[in-house]
Amino acid sequence: MKVSDLKELLIRSLDKESDAEAISGKIENAGAVLRFSEGFQSKVLEKIFSSGSAVIRKVEFARNMNYVFYRIALTGVAAIVLLLISIFMMEGSLSLDSFLGLGGGDDESILCLLTGN
Amino acid sequence: MIKESYRQKSENELVKASLGGDKQAFGEIVTRYQNMVARTVKGMLGDSVFSEDIGQEVFIKLFYSLSEFRGEAKLSTYIQKIAINLTLNEIKRRKRFFSMFSQKGNNEMFEYEVADHDTQQKKEASELVSKALMRMDPKFRIIVAMRMLQGYSTRETAEILDLPLGTVLSRLSRAQEQMKNILGKL
Repeated sequence: MKVSDLKELLIRSLDKESDAEAISGKIENAGAVLRFSEGFQSKVLEKIFSSGSAVIRKVEFARNMNYVFYRIALTGVAAIVLLLISIFMMEGSLSLDSFLGLGGGDDESILCLLTGN
Repeated sequence: MIKESYRQKSENELVKASLGGDKQAFGEIVTRYQNMVARTVKGMLGDSVFSEDIGQEVFIKLFYSLSEFRGEAKLSTYIQKIAINLTLNEIKRRKRFFSMFSQKGNNEMFEYEVADHDTQQKKEASELVSKALMRMDPKFRIIVAMRMLQGYSTRETAEILDLPLGTVLSRLSRAQEQMKNILGKL
């Protein structure tokens, strides 16, 4: 197949109305073949079945980590919400001062506390 | 070597046997679908050894997720989705890497090595397709690979990519425009 014909075919394969299956067959016949190398199947089977336990361990580790992370994240969110509620109940607002425990104090009392006068 | 009897088995029989740890059965699944996975992975990442690693990963992931395959969709669709997800993850990983450590552009992070062909003409054809694909925007490349290399209809493409049909159609038309520009320069 001429290069110009192949180019035409490549463009036509993206037509909404075209028969993509037939065109992809023609493109493949023209030489545009994407394949894995010889022995691909054996390599896959070897990875799965000979080092199977290692892969299983890896997969299980990832799954456990996800599970633990999920639990920790949920607990963390719950703790943050409780903390916010308690601060709001005690200080009456959620400002930065409330977070730092400075909600009740005025500037002078803090100054006295820091300088001792 | 896969026994002849496995070649006659249906998808569901092979899946069941593989779940029981039957190496030959899973080997038959790999044989049946490796070319399909190669077209997707190499079509999107380029024809290089790294694509082979992703291809292997696709089947390893398939093996460990076979228990989740309920048989509602075709096995080929299920495998195709795994292949697309892993390939997109690899593209994201490469983008991150190249944005941090290299000045290379989008197109240069995908290499291709043209495999040996029996004729010069076929080699040229393969080179042309690989070059055109690698110069495409990765967003369109997936649609092009599904259509041009796999021969899926627009409906099948939408189903596999979990996209509305309208989105596939509009991307297809934009991809076609981009393809015309790219091929005009090659």
